Amino acid sequence: MTGDRVQEKTPVPVLSLRGVSKNFGGVHALVDVDLDVREREVLAVVGDNGAGKSTLAGVLAGAYRPDAGEVRLDGAPVVLDPPATARALGIATVFQDLALMDDLDVVENLFLGHETRRGPLLDEVAMERRAWALLDQLAATVPSVREPVRTLSGGQRQVVAVARALLGSPRVVVLDEPTASLGVRQTAEVLNLVVRLRERGHAVVLISHQAADLQAVADRILVLRLGQVHDVFTGDTSYEDLLAAMTGAVRPGTRRGGSRKAVAP
Amino acid sequence: MSAVQQRGSLTQIELAGVTGLSPATVSNIVKELTSAGVLHTAHSTRNGRRALKVTLARNLGLVAGVHFGTRSLRVAVADASMRVLADQHMPLAPDHRADTGLRRAALLVGEMLSAVDAAPDELLGVGVGVPAPVDVRTGRISTVGMLRGWDGVDVPQILEDHLGAPVHVDNEANLGALAEARHGAGVGHDAVAYLRVSHGIGGGIVLGDRVVHGRSGVAGEIGHVTIDENGPICRCGNRGCLETFAGAGVLLGMLSSSRGPLTLRDVIDRARDGDAGCRRVLFDAGQHLGVATASLCNIVDPEIVVVGGQLAEAGEILLGPMRTVVEQRTVPAAAGPVQVVAAALGATAEVRGALVVALDSARVGGALGVVSA
Repeated sequence: MTGDRVQEKTPVPVLSLRGVSKNFGGVHALVDVDLDVREREVLAVVGDNGAGKSTLAGVLAGAYRPDAGEVRLDGAPVVLDPPATARALGIATVFQDLALMDDLDVVENLFLGHETRRGPLLDEVAMERRAWALLDQLAATVPSVREPVRTLSGGQRQVVAVARALLGSPRVVVLDEPTASLGVRQTAEVLNLVVRLRERGHAVVLISHQAADLQAVADRILVLRLGQVHDVFTGDTSYEDLLAAMTGAVRPGTRRGGSRKAVAP
Repeated sequence: MSAVQQRGSLTQIELAGVTGLSPATVSNIVKELTSAGVLHTAHSTRNGRRALKVTLARNLGLVAGVHFGTRSLRVAVADASMRVLADQHMPLAPDHRADTGLRRAALLVGEMLSAVDAAPDELLGVGVGVPAPVDVRTGRISTVGMLRGWDGVDVPQILEDHLGAPVHVDNEANLGALAEARHGAGVGHDAVAYLRVSHGIGGGIVLGDRVVHGRSGVAGEIGHVTIDENGPICRCGNRGCLETFAGAGVLLGMLSSSRGPLTLRDVIDRARDGDAGCRRVLFDAGQHLGVATASLCNIVDPEIVVVGGQLAEAGEILLGPMRTVVEQRTVPAAAGPVQVVAAALGATAEVRGALVVALDSARVGGALGVVSA
């Protein structure tokens, strides 16, 4: 089975980048990047420091406007910036710093800026109910939605940030370094969360430099190196091949375009 | 004492029934052991009457179970009466390796012990399941090349260094078999045959309450029973093994050209929703499983065949055709065909088996602090 045939028969990508480049002064942060992500798919983006991962997250979030290239949603060209537009188009991004308010509780964090109202008052009951429903869907182990976020573990904070991103029913969820600085138990929770997002039908873009974590959940793995797409691998690629691509030990593009080897038994 | 340990918790009256002692004698023994700090009693009701529920006291220590699957890691911590206090799982990369995997498991056990407010020295033992045949005497994987990155790794030594408690390693399907026989769908049956149908296909046989290991731990490896001697080459090196017909990779590969990349979960969901292709793949897998299971039944003649692993979640879509083939291909018995049922413990069977092994060894080793009564 060749890669091309697989691509023809799978559904149209929800989100595509074609030839996207972004420069910061003389620095080429992204160069001619192509990317596709479909519903019910986890696309992992891996790369060394300075490979362009965070810039890519910024482009997907609508924080950066690409200098060249095209972003397509369901095959039609769109402009994602400013970030509110990206959110309105159904692309939710959770950044590494999570942007949670430590002193506010879980409900307040989830609904900050778009509180549910009943008349002139906030509808606390409805918001709390919705908060629990969301957290339950994510099978989260948050002890209480009325505790300040500061008291939660790293994994639980990540869940709250993701839950907030899910409020607008996005089709694409972009997670930037979700397991960085987490303990093993929190990492486990975040990886389970990614699996659950995929089961819910979201397209997930998972950006990280921790190859082993990505491999655990990814359907495809895109390796960025020095701002370019070095290669796209299937999720079952060996750790050595991935590492070789990340460090540039092999030439780029030998299997570019999402070529798939037959799944080994 | 061992009656309480095996069943977790039961009332004094039930205890009298199980041990065959008079209720008065049981009451005296329980009183004595409670004052010695071995048992814990609590008032409850049974059939509307007051009853005294007997469990092992928590201060007897804790055990941990670790299950490395082909694509997942599950860790559980339980007390001496098999009550699971904490349970955590996470996906693993394909081709995961022993060094990072074991370090992660050790860290997880440590974090989970502190989450239940237990000191590290309360850990009496650790049971570990791995997806390859294991020589249980050494705890090492007894084949080469079946689990890349784990060959020749001294699993017990590494984990004992990290956790400071005795470690017992066994094949994952053997542990699943033990758990289903003691606490799941196989309770009250002997022998119990267990099939674990997931990313790989494994199996275990429990005969007289003990797992059959054979010479080098390969006993029960039903995934490598030959279905077609001219079939494809298997990862084990032979041809036409059951796994090359019903393993997850093969099933997903058959669907990928028409339906794109799927996971096992997707296939099961789609089959339930009526996707004819996914149903067909599961139907055929059930038939292939039936062929191999029939051979096993003709040799061991188990009372019950328990099917676990992720694919068993497909239920009758898989078990129906499997049962039919087993009936066709086994020697007809006056008592009727062997029962083929879905596992009762689901995804937690293997880690529970690991807990059982840890607890059994702790008891035999005397670490439970009491001579078994």
